[in-house]
Amino acid sequence: MAITLGTSSARRNERTAAYLMLLPAAVLLIVFSLIPFYSALRLSFTNQPLVPQLLPDGTQRPAEYVGLDNYSQLLRLELLTLTPEVGDDGQPLRDDNGDLVFPRARTILRGDEQYAGMSELTQIHLLGSRYLLAASDPAWWRSLFNVFTFVLIVVPVQTSFALALAMLVNQKIRASNFFRTVYFAPVVTSMAIVSVIWFFLYNPDQGFINNFLSVFNVGPFQWLEHPASAMISIILMSIWQGVGFQMIIFLAGLQEIPEALYEASALDGANPWQQFRFVTLPGLRNTTIFVAISTTILAFKLFVQVDVMTFGRGGPEDSTITPILHLVNEGFRGSQRVGYASAIAVVFLLIVLAISLIQRRVLTEKEA
Amino acid sequence: MKLSRVLLGLLLAALFIVPLTASAQPAEISVFFHSGRGAERDALDTILTNFNDSQSDYVAVATELPEGSYTDAVNAAALSGDLPCLLDFDGPTLYSFAWRGYLIPIDSYASEDLLADILPSIIDQGTYNGHLYSLGVFDSGLAIWGNKAMLEAAGVRIPTGLDDVWTLDEFDAALAALKEAHPDNFILDLKMNYGEGEWFTYGFSPILQGFGADLIDRETYATAEGVLNGEVAVAAMTWFQDLFDKGYATTTPPDDNEFINGNAALSWVGHWEYNRYATELGDNLVLIPMPNLGARAATGMGSWNWGITSQCENQDGAWSLLEFMLDPEQMTIMTDANGAVPSRISVLDADPNYATGGDLNIFVQQLQGSVAVPRPQTPAYPVITREFATAISEISTGADVQDTLDSAVDAIDADIAANDGYPAPSM
Repeated sequence: MAITLGTSSARRNERTAAYLMLLPAAVLLIVFSLIPFYSALRLSFTNQPLVPQLLPDGTQRPAEYVGLDNYSQLLRLELLTLTPEVGDDGQPLRDDNGDLVFPRARTILRGDEQYAGMSELTQIHLLGSRYLLAASDPAWWRSLFNVFTFVLIVVPVQTSFALALAMLVNQKIRASNFFRTVYFAPVVTSMAIVSVIWFFLYNPDQGFINNFLSVFNVGPFQWLEHPASAMISIILMSIWQGVGFQMIIFLAGLQEIPEALYEASALDGANPWQQFRFVTLPGLRNTTIFVAISTTILAFKLFVQVDVMTFGRGGPEDSTITPILHLVNEGFRGSQRVGYASAIAVVFLLIVLAISLIQRRVLTEKEA
Repeated sequence: MKLSRVLLGLLLAALFIVPLTASAQPAEISVFFHSGRGAERDALDTILTNFNDSQSDYVAVATELPEGSYTDAVNAAALSGDLPCLLDFDGPTLYSFAWRGYLIPIDSYASEDLLADILPSIIDQGTYNGHLYSLGVFDSGLAIWGNKAMLEAAGVRIPTGLDDVWTLDEFDAALAALKEAHPDNFILDLKMNYGEGEWFTYGFSPILQGFGADLIDRETYATAEGVLNGEVAVAAMTWFQDLFDKGYATTTPPDDNEFINGNAALSWVGHWEYNRYATELGDNLVLIPMPNLGARAATGMGSWNWGITSQCENQDGAWSLLEFMLDPEQMTIMTDANGAVPSRISVLDADPNYATGGDLNIFVQQLQGSVAVPRPQTPAYPVITREFATAISEISTGADVQDTLDSAVDAIDADIAANDGYPAPSM
C-alpha cells in the first residue's frame, strides 16, 4: 500500500516536473505565435491600415469589418477566352508576321465593370485558342510561383551540394579544418551583408562575376536586372550562403557511420561508388531527411536576400517577389494595408502547413 | 510627533510651490528633426540656441531622429499622442501628414510680407486642401551639370538661361554627339546608383511633365488613368528607356564619381553636388537648365520643411520658432551649412552663388520661373512615388513601357479607392 502511494506521488511529481519544463516553451509559443496568429486572423477580416487617420477629436479612425473582401481580392482569378480583332472587312486582323492580333488584356478588363481592379496574370495558348488568366493580385500568384521554383531548385541542389562538400572535407587530408571553416564562414555572416556583397558581385559592368566570366568570353549577363536571370541569381547566392550549414550536419552524420562498414564492404570488393551508394547514403538517411525538411522550411521563408538585392521590390517585373516580401510590401510599405497583409499571412500559413503535413506523412510512411 | 507634522507640512508646501515657480519658466517647444548630415545638425543646434537666447518666453528642445525611419517615428508619435510642437518632413510627406490630422494650417500666422519674400515653389509645396501647412528654410534645385571641355569638343551649344534651353531634338543631338566622341563611356550620369527611392520620382518625373504628361490628374487627384499611362507618358518613358538602350546611361554605374572622373559629360542631379563638382572640375563646370522636352521645361523642387502639429499645446510658440528659423540671418546659417537653395528671395539676392550671374542662379530662375513642379499634392503621394520609382527601375532595365505604367496606375488607383478618394479632412 505504502509502495503504491509512493509510486503515485512520484508519478505526480514527475508530471508536475514535466508541466513545469513545458511551461517556458508553452508561454513563448502562446505569446509569440498563437496570440499574433489570432490577431492576424482577426485583422484579416478588416480594412485596418498600418497608421489610422486621426479624427479631429484626437482619436483614431476605427477599422471597419470587411468580411472576406481581403481574401477574395487575394485569391480571385478569372479565365477569359480572347477573340482576335476583326478588321472592317470581317476578316480577322493579322500582324506583319501573319499572326492573329488580339486586343490588349487591359482594354478588355477595364471595359467590363465586373473585372474592375483585375490585371493580367498570364496568357495561355492552347489548341489554337488564346486564354487570358486575370487576377486581382497578380503579384501574389507570381510570388507563389517564385517561391515554389526556389524551393524545388534549392532543396535538392543545396542538399546534394552540401553532401558533396561534407564528403570532401571529411577526407583525412591536411588543412581539412581550414576548408570546413571557409565553407562555413558564409553561414555565420549576416544574410543582409552577404546580399549587399553579392549585389556588387553581380554588377553587370564592373562586377567580379562578369569580369571573371569575360576571361572565358562568356557574358556579360544582366544578373539581377533581367527577369529571366534574377531568380537564378538569388538561388545561386542563397545556395552559396546556406550550403555550409547543411555541410556541417552531413559531416556529423558521416562521422557517425562506423568505419568497420567501409572496411567490410571493401573486403567484399565494393568500389567507391558502391560504397557511397550502399554504405554512405543509407547511413545518412535520417540526416538527409532532417536536412531536406529544414532546408524546405528555410527556403519558403525567402525574404532577406530578395529584399536587399531588389530594393524591396521583388523585381524586375515581379520575377523575384516572394509571399513574405509581398506581405511586408502590402502591410508596411506603400499602401500599408495591415488587414490585407494579415490575409496573406493566414493563407500562406495554411499553404506551408499543408506542405509540412504532406511531407511528414510521406516520410513517416517510408519509415513504416 | 509635532516635528513630523511640521515636516509633512513643509513637504506638502514644497510640492505646491514647485509647480508654481515652474509655470513662471519659459514654455517648452518640442521639435522633431531628421538627423541628416552633420553640418545640418550643427546648424539647427546653433539656430535653436540662438532662439533660446533671443527671448525668454519659450525654450526649444530638439529630438533628432534617424532619417531612414523618420516617417515611421512620426506616425508612432502621432498615434500615441506624443507629437512635438514643430516637426520637419520631406516635402511631399506633408500631404499625408496633413490628411492624417497631424498638422494645423498656418495661414493665420504667416504675414503677407513674409510670404511675398518666400519662393513661390516653397509655398506651392506647403499648400494642401487650400491651406498653407508648412514652410521650408530651403528649397532644392535640379538641372544638368556639364563638363564644359567635353561639351565644347563635341560641338554642343551650352544654354545660359531659361530663354535658350535645349529643345528635345537639340538634347538628343547633344547626347548622340557626346556618345560618338566617347563611344565607351556612359556620357549621361543619371545617378542610378542612388537606387530605387525618392530620387527616381524627384529626378525623373520632370521628364513626364516635360513631355506634357504627369504622375496623376492634378485637377481631381482621383486617378492616374490616362495621365501616367497615356500616350504622352508612354512617349516620355520610351524616350527615357532609350537613354539606356542607346548606351548614353547605365542602370548600374560603378560608383558616384562618373562625372568627376570625366567618364560622363553630363550629370542629371541636384544642387547638392555643387561643392564636390566645383572642387573637382573648377571652371570646367557648367550648369545647364532643364531642356524643353516638347510641352515645357520642367524640373523637380522641394525639400525638408516645417509644420506645426495638432497635438502641440503651444502653437503660438511653435510659430515664433518657425518664424525665427525663417529669419534671413538664421536661414543663412542653415543654407551655408547644407548648400541648399535659401527659400527667401531677399537671401537669394544677397548670395553670390544664387544672385544673377552666380554659378547656381539657374536653380533660382527655374524655381521662380515656374519650371519647377511640386510633387503631387495628395495624401496618396507615398504610393505614387513608390509605384513610379518601381516603374522607373523596370523601364530602365527594359520592361514594356505601357505595361509597366499600367500596373503603376492600377496600384495608385487601388490605393486611392481603398481610402475612399482621400476626402479632405474636416477643419
